[in-house]
Amino acid sequence: MRCLVTGVAGFIGSHLAEALLKEGYQVTGIDCFTDYYSKELKKVNLVNLKESKNFKFIKADLLDLDLPLILKQTDWVFHLAAQAGVRASWGREFEIYTQNNVLATQKLLEASKKVKLKGFIYASSSSVYGDTNTLPTPEEVYLQPLSPYGVTKLAGEHLCYLYHKNFGIPTVALRYFTVYGPRQRPDMAFHRFLKAALLEEKIEIYGDGKQTRDFTYISDIIDVHLMVMNHLHPGEVFNIAGGTQTSLKTALALISEITGHKIKIIYKPQQKGDVRHTAADITKAKNILGYEPQVGLSDGLGAEWKWIQTIYKNY
Amino acid sequence: MPISKELLEILACPKCKGDLRYVKEDPHGEGLICDNCKLFYPIKEDIPIMLIEEAIKIEKSETI
Repeated sequence: MRCLVTGVAGFIGSHLAEALLKEGYQVTGIDCFTDYYSKELKKVNLVNLKESKNFKFIKADLLDLDLPLILKQTDWVFHLAAQAGVRASWGREFEIYTQNNVLATQKLLEASKKVKLKGFIYASSSSVYGDTNTLPTPEEVYLQPLSPYGVTKLAGEHLCYLYHKNFGIPTVALRYFTVYGPRQRPDMAFHRFLKAALLEEKIEIYGDGKQTRDFTYISDIIDVHLMVMNHLHPGEVFNIAGGTQTSLKTALALISEITGHKIKIIYKPQQKGDVRHTAADITKAKNILGYEPQVGLSDGLGAEWKWIQTIYKNY
Repeated sequence: MPISKELLEILACPKCKGDLRYVKEDPHGEGLICDNCKLFYPIKEDIPIMLIEEAIKIEKSETI
């Protein structure tokens, strides 16, 4: 059986493709190497994958590819490709987000009409919730994204649902909550904090540091994709999170403890688009998929710290 | 190792969606040629680079 993983050179995509290969699937990966962050880091993400004879990689833009041709040989689609970043999605940049997050999703779904997929799994985001008052947040609350990025991820989710309802495409959307671990994007908080600890740099924090996130370790995120393949519930949306709400200040204290370095913090005003708190109600994923987060923050940060030391060893 | 037949079967020209012709040793190296668009898509380390902006414009004589 063959899986298509879009955004395969990214943080989550590369881990997912490795897990699928380990499970015995053949994997075709697509990535266009957007310039949101270092292409060199993305190349490193692909190193393990390229060793497998069951992995094929195409460097391409989803908007230009002949997707029906590619999907002819595909059983499962994992659509992780996206323009990332909440803060960068304002203004003129929004067009890139609509192209890469909305139009690319629609094109992939449209192409999926012509084939019989076993499943189409869409990577959504906690950013679809915005500043909700319901914490922990269940899937069915009123969705009111606070950033243009969140709007495009929600549009992608809606597209998945309507292509399921109208054309029977077996779509499932997973709302990831602040994923971290080895290969985390360099703009994300833990990557910046751990790098700063290693290189003894100052870091900037937007807001007062009391904002909270439901941090989710990468292997928990990957496991849930395999669970979805075993318990497919087309048309459904699931929160996928670590299950604990932690403030940035608490996370920073833990990082100091793990790394043995005290990080100098510069507080900056809160950025437009940033939500104050996220905390997921993961009851639905527990009950239907059998999901249970396995990796706590301390162990997860320890693993990311080891990785950070390897990639910045020559600095 | 040349690019797999299976991978070639699912690729089309990103510009016109037309057929591509595999060339092992073109003046530009290994790659895929769209005779219609006169574009050469390089294959580097067994990876087809199917990006229009990274394709090389070729002369007509090179496509024969």
